Amino acid sequence: MERTGRIFETTGTYAVALLLLIAGAFVSPDFLTADNFLNVLSAVALLGIVASGMSFVTYSGNMADLSVPAIMAFSGIITVAALPMGLAPALLCGMLAGMAVGAMNGLVVGKLNANPILWTLAVAFFMEGFMRFTWSNNQVYPDTTPGTPGAAFIDIFRIHAGPVPLIVVVMFLLFAAGHFVMTRTRFGHESQLVGSSRAAARTSGIRVSRIVFLNFIVASFTASIAGIFITSMNKLGVFYLGQGYDFKAVTAVVIGGVMLSGGRGHIPGVFGGVLVIGLLANIMTFLGVTAFRQNIVTGMVFIAVVGLQQYRLRARGKDYA
Amino acid sequence: MPPLETSFAALVMEGVSKRFPGTLAVDCVDMEVRAGEIHALMGENGAGKSTLMKVLAGMFDDYTGTIRVGGKQVRLDSPAAAKRHGIGMVYQELSLARPISIAENVLAGRLPVTCWGMLDRRAMFDETRRCLSLVGLDINPSKTVEEISQHEAQLVEIAKVLGSAPCILILDEPTSALSREQTRRLFAILRDLRRGGLAIVYISHHLPEVFEIADRVTVLRDGRKIATRDIAETTPQEIVQMMVGQTMDRFYARRESLAGDTALRAEHLARYGFFHDVSFEIRQGEILGLAGLSGAGRTELARSLCGLDPLDCGTVIVHGKELPAEDYPRSVAEGLVYLTEDRKVDGLFLRLSVKRNLLAGLLPFHSKAGIYRDRNDASLTRQYLEELAVVTASAETDVETLSGGNQQKVLLGKWLATNPRVLILDEPTRGVDVKAKSKIHESVAALAHRGAAVLLISSDLPELAGLSDRVIVMRHGRLIGEMRKEELSEEAILLAVNGQAATARGAV
Repeated sequence: MERTGRIFETTGTYAVALLLLIAGAFVSPDFLTADNFLNVLSAVALLGIVASGMSFVTYSGNMADLSVPAIMAFSGIITVAALPMGLAPALLCGMLAGMAVGAMNGLVVGKLNANPILWTLAVAFFMEGFMRFTWSNNQVYPDTTPGTPGAAFIDIFRIHAGPVPLIVVVMFLLFAAGHFVMTRTRFGHESQLVGSSRAAARTSGIRVSRIVFLNFIVASFTASIAGIFITSMNKLGVFYLGQGYDFKAVTAVVIGGVMLSGGRGHIPGVFGGVLVIGLLANIMTFLGVTAFRQNIVTGMVFIAVVGLQQYRLRARGKDYA
Repeated sequence: MPPLETSFAALVMEGVSKRFPGTLAVDCVDMEVRAGEIHALMGENGAGKSTLMKVLAGMFDDYTGTIRVGGKQVRLDSPAAAKRHGIGMVYQELSLARPISIAENVLAGRLPVTCWGMLDRRAMFDETRRCLSLVGLDINPSKTVEEISQHEAQLVEIAKVLGSAPCILILDEPTSALSREQTRRLFAILRDLRRGGLAIVYISHHLPEVFEIADRVTVLRDGRKIATRDIAETTPQEIVQMMVGQTMDRFYARRESLAGDTALRAEHLARYGFFHDVSFEIRQGEILGLAGLSGAGRTELARSLCGLDPLDCGTVIVHGKELPAEDYPRSVAEGLVYLTEDRKVDGLFLRLSVKRNLLAGLLPFHSKAGIYRDRNDASLTRQYLEELAVVTASAETDVETLSGGNQQKVLLGKWLATNPRVLILDEPTRGVDVKAKSKIHESVAALAHRGAAVLLISSDLPELAGLSDRVIVMRHGRLIGEMRKEELSEEAILLAVNGQAATARGAV
């Protein structure tokens, strides 16, 4: 009984993804083509990158980092602003800027025990105001004259390794690295313990605040990478670029079987969750469903999955009461 | 029962029993409390005091036996019924809501309203002042509970219960958090209430307090009533004898002590408000018992000793190396580990598997350069499950599905697996069945035999007396004495933790 439950948790998202694939084949003959599949992967790559890091925040019992959109926008803007220094230094500055926000989140949530949802929500609000004020509500454009770092920056989103876009490769690399870190490193194991019970982790001799800090650093690291890609895609940096990625990433993480209460789940599941969201959106696009209505569906899926998780937790709790 | 006595009796219990699955917690107890007396109820942990009082408070609807309040037979099958029949219970843990006002706390459930259905603040404050005056408190009822001291909160709690005009007042260890001066003030109030004709049941472990305040005392042991005595006609020694029982079964095999070099030395440890100037040492292979009443500061000392909580002064030296204060991960690395008092709150990862729990302490030892190596995880898990005879469907079962005893074994196994040099055990067998208990004792003794030092905190006196090589006694945050193996007995420890006849030697 126990075992079958776990297997379902593991493979459940992939079963749903498979169902969506079959459904898609009925919707359009173009659906089951290599081209469309690459389309789906490219479309979900940004989300996948964000979700790969967000998983760690959820896994370690901190629910979600809602400052992810702000981190994405900020790392993009800083990268563009630093482009005159050359491409590599600019990318480094962008990454550091985004991760500085993550470090702040990690310190406040880890050391001061702030509520992660409220704190990161406040940081997102503050960062948006800060960016609008600093850049006077304006978009920041790179100099895209051929041969300049700006032109190279714009290309980042457009580079392909054969038929596969760089961003898809990066997404896979991050998922692979995430899986390794979660299952094979001391940090991954300690994150699970912290996520299961912060109090018990403390009395097991784990440096809880350090682990929480590092989890927020991981989330901001992948969000900064996503920020650079999305800025390169739009050819400009602006405060609203990451909008919506907070909620979509949490949805992917939760669909992927990572418990919102922490301590349970794994990265392959999260990749499955990202695929489900991507396929769902793709099918709806084929069906001609507008973006707003797609949001409604994503929201409903989230509600259903969280409801199911809570229901199962309740059922488990009842067994032992 | 002679009619003269019953006419005074505010509360009469006859043949009251309460069964939990597997145990008879209260076994056919007769007890009578008279109006205008303070009646102490004593017994060791698990003797059934709290269960008996919970029956009175209406917490169980399946007790058997008859209860008469004021001569009238009543059925106390809900807290509301108990309250209706005039039974007021003050619990050990404060039940006040901290962020709201004293008035709202005292009058919770019976807040006065005006004819418009609005809160009648004037009446609320007047009524609260009246209740507070019953316990001699003169504080502003609009203050919140967190603004007042714990001592005042305790009195507010009593005022809240008195506010509904009970005829029987039950107090569960009311002085465990109070200073001596505050205890004296509380006693003055209790004497006033007694003069007013209230029947008071006073549950306590503190012998001196019982002899100071009570008129009569009833002793429970193993769920049964042993005797009721007039305080004037008994002695602390007799009470202790009744609590402990005559037969001391040889549950504990004599361990030969092979204490070696000093494993841990604590020098002048203090955390202000909890414990002061505590110095002691434990040698390799020694089990050192730490005795004390609840509130004596034992758990606080243990948590600061291992680095979970801060220390205001003093040093902790393990195998000649001084440990930094408040750095528990470092202590674990040095082999000083602490098994927490409450396995559910901060001991186990309830939603993780038995295996994950067993291996949780080994994480730092099984990692190299941040990479976790799990080559012998499975065999280690099997080894400890076998060694501790843990009953579980598999190593992958969630630990929360295990019974209390098996959970506790897993928790102990987690630390045994790290092969500690100093193990601090805080109530290692609380709420654990007899079989698991002896298995745990066996493992702890074996660990000591292998040369580890053990500090054992326990309120279970047979355990403390039977397992320890030496016992130090703590009272009001200070070490007040030390007892050697040959002097150890339940009676001696019980007298010592009460500040009586402790051999003041060493340690102080």
